[in-house]
Amino acid sequence: MKTFGKNVILLFMKTNTSNKKTISLSLRLQRLIFGIVFVVTVTFLISVYLITAKERRDYEIRESERVLRTLSNNIVSDIDSYREISRLIMTEDRLVSFLRADVNQVDISMINDARYGIMDILNVTEGVDTVMVFREDMIMLSTNRFTYVYDYDLMQKDSWRGYIYDAKGSAVVSLNSNGVAHKLGNKPMVTIGRAIYDIDTQQRTGLMLMNISARVFEKMLGDLRYNDICIMGTDGSFIAGNRKLAPYYESSFVSKGITHKDIAIEGERSLLSGCRVSNMPIVIMKTSSYGNEGVPFTAINVMIFMLVIFIILAFYTGSFISRNVTDPVFELSSAMDKNRSSGDLKKIDVKVNSSEFEMLEGDYNNMIDHVNDLIDRLMEKEKTLQRAEMRVLQEQIKPHFLYNSIETIGFMALDAGADKVHDALETMGSFYRNFLSKGGREIPFSREISIVKDYLSLQKLRYGDIIEDEYDIPAEAEYFIVPKLILQPLVENSIYHGIRLKGEKGMISISAYVDEIEGEEYPERELHIVVKDTGVGMDQDKIDKILSAEEKDRPQEADESFGLWGTIQRIRMYTGKKDCVKIESEQGEYTRIEITIGAK
Amino acid sequence: MNRAIRVMIIDDEESARKLMRAAIDWESLGMEVVGEAASGIEAINIIDDLRPDIAFVDISMPFMDGIEFTEVATGRYPNLIIIIMTAIDKFEYARKCVSLPVFDYMLKPMVRAEVTPVLERAAEKLKREKDYWEEQKENEEPHSGESDTDLITRYLEENFTDKELNLAFIAQHFGFSASYLSRKFKQDTGKKFVEYLTDLRMKKAMEIAKGGVKMYQAAAEVGIPDPNYFSRCFKKYTGMSYSDYVAEHTK
Repeated sequence: MKTFGKNVILLFMKTNTSNKKTISLSLRLQRLIFGIVFVVTVTFLISVYLITAKERRDYEIRESERVLRTLSNNIVSDIDSYREISRLIMTEDRLVSFLRADVNQVDISMINDARYGIMDILNVTEGVDTVMVFREDMIMLSTNRFTYVYDYDLMQKDSWRGYIYDAKGSAVVSLNSNGVAHKLGNKPMVTIGRAIYDIDTQQRTGLMLMNISARVFEKMLGDLRYNDICIMGTDGSFIAGNRKLAPYYESSFVSKGITHKDIAIEGERSLLSGCRVSNMPIVIMKTSSYGNEGVPFTAINVMIFMLVIFIILAFYTGSFISRNVTDPVFELSSAMDKNRSSGDLKKIDVKVNSSEFEMLEGDYNNMIDHVNDLIDRLMEKEKTLQRAEMRVLQEQIKPHFLYNSIETIGFMALDAGADKVHDALETMGSFYRNFLSKGGREIPFSREISIVKDYLSLQKLRYGDIIEDEYDIPAEAEYFIVPKLILQPLVENSIYHGIRLKGEKGMISISAYVDEIEGEEYPERELHIVVKDTGVGMDQDKIDKILSAEEKDRPQEADESFGLWGTIQRIRMYTGKKDCVKIESEQGEYTRIEITIGAK
Repeated sequence: MNRAIRVMIIDDEESARKLMRAAIDWESLGMEVVGEAASGIEAINIIDDLRPDIAFVDISMPFMDGIEFTEVATGRYPNLIIIIMTAIDKFEYARKCVSLPVFDYMLKPMVRAEVTPVLERAAEKLKREKDYWEEQKENEEPHSGESDTDLITRYLEENFTDKELNLAFIAQHFGFSASYLSRKFKQDTGKKFVEYLTDLRMKKAMEIAKGGVKMYQAAAEVGIPDPNYFSRCFKKYTGMSYSDYVAEHTK
């Protein structure tokens, strides 16, 4: 997972800097996995929200329905008990007398009697605010006549009592005295109306309205500890309970079943349920705010658990693919890149865990082999070509052609009696044979001396009048091994930059001596070679330049001192000592070069 | 040994042979140059007549080079002092010579100051030893009948195309001393061994020439693969050059 992330950062950097046409596999994989996780999480949250909301609502609906049914039943049974009371009242003797009495017989005392009769019955009960009884001729009595205002005009009309009559003696529940009487303060009343029939004659004798005070309902709600319930009349008037709910009354509640709707009370989302109580003009409404009750925590926990597992799986898949696909690709790529930048085409060895990558690695290694093979072949070709060229060059030099020619001319000279020419040719032949000989780069000092002798005797043929040479070589020096061709360049220098410039006869003296010095374990032998010429000498500046080992002081090849400088460098390399060559000179007098070579 | 030391020079460069002959003071060394050969092939053919004590041998020669010659000669003439003289400073040559009983190995161009001391050493060695060629004469085998010479002539007729064939080889092959064989062969056939062998080869060469075959091919076929030496032998034998002979016989 760590490398996965690192790679992603790396990739972002890469893709940001390079053009965005190609997106790496791991980045796409990354995006895909994050995308899937995102979608799944969002879906999960929405589902959880929806399910929770529905479950909570269902729960509240169930609760509300239970409460509403209970309350509805309570109201119905309460009203029923008042109906019973109204039946009792109907049969009260004094009231019956009042109703049976002829119009002329009715007087105030009769009315009061009837009133007392009713009130006797009412004494044992609570909640009845007033009972009004109307004779057919609309003479009426009331148990509580002073807190009501009557509408006498309406009283004479049929409209308010027709439906009571239609019930043929059954109790009919209505509101607020059907409009004929208003309680002072407009206090809501539930009215039970009933037509009164005479028991003997079965003639209708009047009509009774019993107003039940809203306090009855308040008390009921209080007993049940309901504070989120409001009892309304079907005409939208408030009867009892929580007045805050009254504005939410709708006629849709006046239906048989329970109706639910969502409202917001003081900004809080709530469920409002309402239903009509039986056939009465009463509607009960209940609100409930959504609480945590009903939230399906178990189901949600299971879902969260599944979500977590899913996310882990998604990231594991990502890391799996990264580890098994992109990481090996990166490793292979970096190994190949390292190979390229190092310039050394070696086989790569990357630990890959799948056969496909092994195949890729194998293919790459095969290619490396092939490339190396091609390079080798090319190099071999190049070498062959070079060797061929070298051979041509060597053939062109062909020393044996030179030697055979020298012998041929030598015989011609001899044949013609020119012995001196033959002598010179013989010397030249000897010189070149030694000079050009292949083989060892280190030779006995004696051979080095014979090269110089040949060289000088040839040079004396040219400059015999100005050059003389002398040698002082002890026998013990002759076997000393020295680097080949160290003396000739010194002598050549003596001739061309010493003696010839002086314009008078010069002497080249070559001498050598062997001495012993203290070695680390036993005495070591050293050969000292001295080449001295009586030429023009050289100044200290030139000596310093010639003795300088610095590459920057290397003279140009065309420079007169190049041969000498190069020879000194060779001797230094052979001996491994910087001070193995000493030059002494007095201008106009001599130059003395001394070489010291240890025995090997 | 009290006679002059006999020296043979084998070199394909005529000037080299002549130079050596002319430049070195042989007399003061007690030596004389008894002959030259321009190739290993020629040397094989004439060495029995020349009977040299010392042979200067060049390495790079056509048809039979100095190494090859030395290999053949050391088997047949164990006392012969061979001095290699070459212009080519090749390690390979030097290595081969070391494995052969070569007296000295010298590089051209020749320098008297180098050659003379070597010859002096060789002379000293020869003087210490008995005269090889005299010894050969003294060791003559008793006469053993005519049939020997017949056998030899038959062998020659069958084998003359072998380029390495010579008197010394036959002597070794049949168990005689060379000088005895030489003398007996001349007695029996009336011809010197070399003449007899060359006659055989030339007769064959004339036959071949009639077919218009090129000289170098004919030379190789008859056992003298050096066409220069072959040419000389042919002219000596027929009195005309090989090309003339071919021209005359193929009209």
